[in-house]
Amino acid sequence: MTEWFALNPEEDRAVAAFMSRVSNLRIPNPDSRIRDVSQLWCKAQLIQRWEAERRAQRPLDIMQPIEIAGGLVATGLLLYWSLPYLL
Amino acid sequence: MGRLDEAAFAGFHDRCATGLRAYVHRVIGNAADVDDIVQEAFLRMLRAELPSDDDEQWRRYVYRIASNLIVDRWRRGKFEQTVAIVQEPVAPTPHYEDDATVAQIFAELKPRERALLWLAYVEGESHEEIAASLGVGRRGVRVLLFRARRRLRDLLQARGILVNR
Repeated sequence: MTEWFALNPEEDRAVAAFMSRVSNLRIPNPDSRIRDVSQLWCKAQLIQRWEAERRAQRPLDIMQPIEIAGGLVATGLLLYWSLPYLL
Repeated sequence: MGRLDEAAFAGFHDRCATGLRAYVHRVIGNAADVDDIVQEAFLRMLRAELPSDDDEQWRRYVYRIASNLIVDRWRRGKFEQTVAIVQEPVAPTPHYEDDATVAQIFAELKPRERALLWLAYVEGESHEEIAASLGVGRRGVRVLLFRARRRLRDLLQARGILVNR
């Protein structure tokens, strides 16, 4: 079963040697820091705050249309029930 | 972010960023997107709730995010199939000692194969760690890694670098 997932030793060595060459290939700007670490930290904190605000805001956003719909229904019912007295 | 403080993150970033850039660069073969992916991976790691004392867990997590971002972009067809040749143009006769040829052969593998081989040979990760880094099953890693190695072997044989027996 093991041989199914194994190359022969020579092939293994060649693959390992090749990967060693790949790992030593030059990367453009190897020391390029994408942005200052503290900026990255601040950005992550900002995003986290926005996400927290959005999470806190979500129930309000959901409730608002429900409140409006409830108000409209209540107004309609009130009008319907008071219609005999108005006529 | 919670339990991870800024100093710990800065230390982790210093230890991990260069290796992660090399990994992303080799897997996508496109230098233009490397910084975007690495930055996004670190940002997502910061927003995750990870224990503050497990450096290895952070490393695996950030590699996993980067791998997922690579796969996402690859699926969207953002990466061209062209290869970023790092050094001089390829010599007419491929030669193992030529860096450009090495880069080109590696780029002929699929992104997932490149990721598997990089994590196994360069990062020295075990099957379990690769599974965690790439978000695939541990048993699957064994098969996928074997296929990647076999494909690399075929490419080396096709170039005459490895004699076909």
